[in-house]
Amino acid sequence: MTRTTLITGASKGLGRTLASFLAAQGDELILTARGGAALEKTAADLQRTGANVRALPGDVADPDHRKALVAAAAEKGGLDLLINNASTLGPSPLPDLIDLPAAEIRRILEVNLVAPLELVRIALPVLKSSGGLVINLSSDAALGGYEGWGGYGASKAGLDLVSLTLANELRPVGVAVVSVDPGDMNTEMHQAAYPDEDISDRPEPEATLPFWAWLFGQDPADVSGRRFQAQSEQWLVSS
Amino acid sequence: MKRSALEYERPERLAATGPAERRGLARDGIRLLVTTPAGHQHARFRALPDFLSPGDLLVVNRSATLPASLPAQGRPGVFLLNLSTDYGGGLWLAEPRRDPATPGPLPFDPGEAVEAAGLPARMIAPFPGLPRLWFVRFAGDVRSAMHRCGAPIRYGYIRTPPGLADYQTIFSAVPGSAEMPSAARPFTARVLSDLRARGVRTAHIVLHTGVSSLEVETERVEDQPLYPEPFRVPGATAEAVNRTRSSGGRVVAVGTTVVRALESATAGGRVQAAAGFTRLFIRPDRPVRIVDGLLTGLHDPVTSHLAMLYAIGGAQRIREAYVEAVEHEYLWHEFGDIHLVIQN
Repeated sequence: MTRTTLITGASKGLGRTLASFLAAQGDELILTARGGAALEKTAADLQRTGANVRALPGDVADPDHRKALVAAAAEKGGLDLLINNASTLGPSPLPDLIDLPAAEIRRILEVNLVAPLELVRIALPVLKSSGGLVINLSSDAALGGYEGWGGYGASKAGLDLVSLTLANELRPVGVAVVSVDPGDMNTEMHQAAYPDEDISDRPEPEATLPFWAWLFGQDPADVSGRRFQAQSEQWLVSS
Repeated sequence: MKRSALEYERPERLAATGPAERRGLARDGIRLLVTTPAGHQHARFRALPDFLSPGDLLVVNRSATLPASLPAQGRPGVFLLNLSTDYGGGLWLAEPRRDPATPGPLPFDPGEAVEAAGLPARMIAPFPGLPRLWFVRFAGDVRSAMHRCGAPIRYGYIRTPPGLADYQTIFSAVPGSAEMPSAARPFTARVLSDLRARGVRTAHIVLHTGVSSLEVETERVEDQPLYPEPFRVPGATAEAVNRTRSSGGRVVAVGTTVVRALESATAGGRVQAAAGFTRLFIRPDRPVRIVDGLLTGLHDPVTSHLAMLYAIGGAQRIREAYVEAVEHEYLWHEFGDIHLVIQN
């Protein structure tokens, strides 16, 4: 059983970790990220191990790029996994919400909320044909009300509700949607949130692999509508 | 808690090297060390009902042991691939070893092809923080390959390989454990009948054990990564536990697996039906909320299970109990003697 998997924000951090993990398992991968050079390098590294990878650099906030991503999945005949991982934090260091310019919050919402929803909308036919699973990457900032995290947190809180609503609406057509808070990790994005701090004590993205291994092994219908914390002590299905 | 808090001395010879039956004992004829706030008592396992009260509830694990040790070959040559946990879709967590007495890690690259039990497989990635364990993806039916070519996982201290039946308990019903839920091994039909006569009831969970955890390696015990295990707590068991507690009975877990499952299914001081994977680490700073007692084997120094025992019985009292167990020459490991620890 070969899965077709689309990962956004795949050139670095968690996206790259997921790409490697799924490539080693034989998934056919469509990867995207804004940074073309970093994405090409990730794709080339994976191809050297024999992985089936297609790299399409671009911005998920660009409607034409989203169409190109879904067209690539349609060429493969379906989409089993859509991992909406690309996110923007907004300005670094993080300004208080009251000081966040409207243009910045619009950009955050475009990338973190509108783009994942639009990708699901236009990928729905290929998701349906595969009985696919959509994974939206969330954050504890969606719940926390942390100072400085308001723009990003609002986008992720919105994304959590988008995930739950889509899960309910798409259940009849056999498409599942989950929301995953990966927890703090030693990534470029986390560093941008704390530009003056040493964040090397945070776990590497690989620390979340047991969770992903578990999630990918579940029947999507059993997990749809759930919000998971990848670094928590347990992951439950409806019993 | 510091790693050194879990250290103690045990003579090498105090290890059960095979089933009790090979020592001329019935399964329920092994020894039982009972630790309560009143002190430590020595008995035979058959006398377990004497140490429980009417209204107490024993919770058992119905997981059965798999022949999970597979012959394998690949770039490092011939090796054993001990399957730990089924993640679904052909993906397993596994421990590659040279042989029962010689652990890994063996050198692999992510994506590398191997063959195990005649099936093609790929080494996917090491488990984060525990590089001796790997995610392995199989092509083909692992369960039937296991029954064709596998054997129960064993380690160097087991002299003559026991058969699969030696690794099943009277409760074994759902195959899935890499290693025997061994605290249940000494239960026999007559012990169960004596328990019923005493007014002690039983309920069940399923938790499929992974391969044995080794020594805690981190300086702070809490930092030790544990790997998750699949579990299910049925609604009827949740009800039985809640009813027992509200009527003043004690909930006694048969095995550390049962503690993990029940405590993972607990919210707001009550157990509810639950299923999923858990890596809950019970230790003195994460105490038990539901379980009043634990029936378990004797655990090696510096293991996470010992930290769980401290959380239930108190570090001081467990250390005393282990001094007693060494003095009285109890036997360690999965075919060894049993320890009942009651909180109150």
